[in-house]
Amino acid sequence: MVEPGVQGVSDLAATLPPGPARVRRSVPGFALLPVPALVLVGIGLILPLGLIARYSLAEFDPADIALQGLTAGNYLKFFGDPFYREVLGRTLAVAAGSTAACLLLGVPAAYAISRARSARLRSALLLLAIVPLLMGNAVRALGWMVLLSERGIVNQALTGLGLADAPVRLMYTPLAVTLSLVAVLLPFMVLTLQSVFDSISPVYEDAAATMGAPPWAAFRHVFLPLAMPGLFSGSLLVFILGMNAYASPVLLGGPAFHMMAPMVYEQAVEAFNWPFASALAFVLMAATLVLTVLSSRVLQKRYGRL
Amino acid sequence: MLSRLLPPGAGFRLAMGTLAVLAFLLLAGPLATVVWVSFFQGKIIAFPPEGYTLSWYAAAWEMPRFRGGLATSLWVALAATAASLAAGVPAALYLARTEFRGREAIQSVLLGPLIVPGIVAGLALYMFLIEAEILTGVQFAQTMGGLVLGHSLIALPWTVRLVTAALVGMDRQAEEAAAVMGARPLAVFFLVTLPAIRSGLVAGGLFSFVISFVDLEKSLFLVGPGTTTLPIAIINYLEWSVDPTIAAVATAQIAAISAVMIATDRVFKLTRAF
Repeated sequence: MVEPGVQGVSDLAATLPPGPARVRRSVPGFALLPVPALVLVGIGLILPLGLIARYSLAEFDPADIALQGLTAGNYLKFFGDPFYREVLGRTLAVAAGSTAACLLLGVPAAYAISRARSARLRSALLLLAIVPLLMGNAVRALGWMVLLSERGIVNQALTGLGLADAPVRLMYTPLAVTLSLVAVLLPFMVLTLQSVFDSISPVYEDAAATMGAPPWAAFRHVFLPLAMPGLFSGSLLVFILGMNAYASPVLLGGPAFHMMAPMVYEQAVEAFNWPFASALAFVLMAATLVLTVLSSRVLQKRYGRL
Repeated sequence: MLSRLLPPGAGFRLAMGTLAVLAFLLLAGPLATVVWVSFFQGKIIAFPPEGYTLSWYAAAWEMPRFRGGLATSLWVALAATAASLAAGVPAALYLARTEFRGREAIQSVLLGPLIVPGIVAGLALYMFLIEAEILTGVQFAQTMGGLVLGHSLIALPWTVRLVTAALVGMDRQAEEAAAVMGARPLAVFFLVTLPAIRSGLVAGGLFSFVISFVDLEKSLFLVGPGTTTLPIAIINYLEWSVDPTIAAVATAQIAAISAVMIATDRVFKLTRAF
């Protein structure tokens, strides 16, 4: 999958040959080829983003949606109100927790794919990671709703094994949201890590083993440091996607569990407060962007260019 | 004591193996559950099931919102795929064959829809379409046109990425040979280049289709009465009830997408797209 701004863009650039474009250069109209795509992105994304940037600085009048006024009020309202600060904090916490869990599960899973003994096992495990990714979030959230409901499999197992006397409330808890989010985001982590792990030759682990290092030490001191850039870009991607999650908090968190993305939707479509919805969207984007830049600075200092 | 009895490194392998198995269970479990539950006999989902039936598939098919959602999703995905190929293939050709310095900037713009979160991009496009409506008096928001525009954007980066990769990977000598023999640029493109990048085109098209078909976040803002996509119809239903009918709908979607992916895998190894 593509890592927003981190690896996808630079990887693709690296694959382009610097060689001269001998044949095409003389073709008339060649420079016009990217124009339709650029127009599409311009009309469908860049102009609209400009519009909501302006709207986030507008005044809200419930009787009139037309753009009016110039004020920082929407942002002040967000940061001045403990309720909204808490929503941002919860969003950050859920995204960070999901990222940590994705790392804990994703590293062994990607390692299993990358070091699989047979090619068939390898492609079977890879498909197991790719297939859920392409099924959509609605369908996967449904799976968790069934598993975690009061009479769901998890509760049946708990009461059946005598671990709980009565069904435990699992739905509409932060745990349910995080669990379903981890499952949604895990393929991104596994696929990012697997491609990085593949590029690390097993020779290094073998060398460490020959020198007498036990497997854990070889993994910890030889393999993981080499894999650090991959761990970083995978975590970043998963964190960004986690911050912007919609289906999991709405369906498994219930109406009392507020996160940023669902709140953007509520403010825009239900409250019809476009200025505040725009400001929320920009806070969400900015929080993601700032954390991305900060963390890549810290990691670049430590591990060199990623 | 135990560690003395086991071969060295057994603890490490056991821990890694357990976590990996847990990861794959977390990935496959929810989908397997959905498929299983869609055959349950009882209207209220309870484990273990009272029995099995196929009747929920018929019930789901009878519901206009799911049939309508399926039709909308299919049309939107087809149109978005066509649009993303029509705009994306020329752009990929340019990116793969130019030495222009601004190439990386153009590339970042074209991959931009992947970087901007779906919910933000959806909100922005929705407000933009309504503004355009106020200016021109023509309805744009909540129309098929608006949905297709939004979906072509999320599909475009996939087409550009996969087709550019195919163009970079192909053997350029055939193109040059054709040009030397006097073939005009358009003839070279249609007779030599396009056939050579066939698998990239198929992959770009099918990925565009799937990405559009399952999209939720961006569509939220763009759907309206009569233009509701299948994932939105599913999520709207789920806010009120969870029953085998919706599991049947979801299973149908799983089956449809699996079919598309198996077809893709025959011409283009899925694992290469990531």
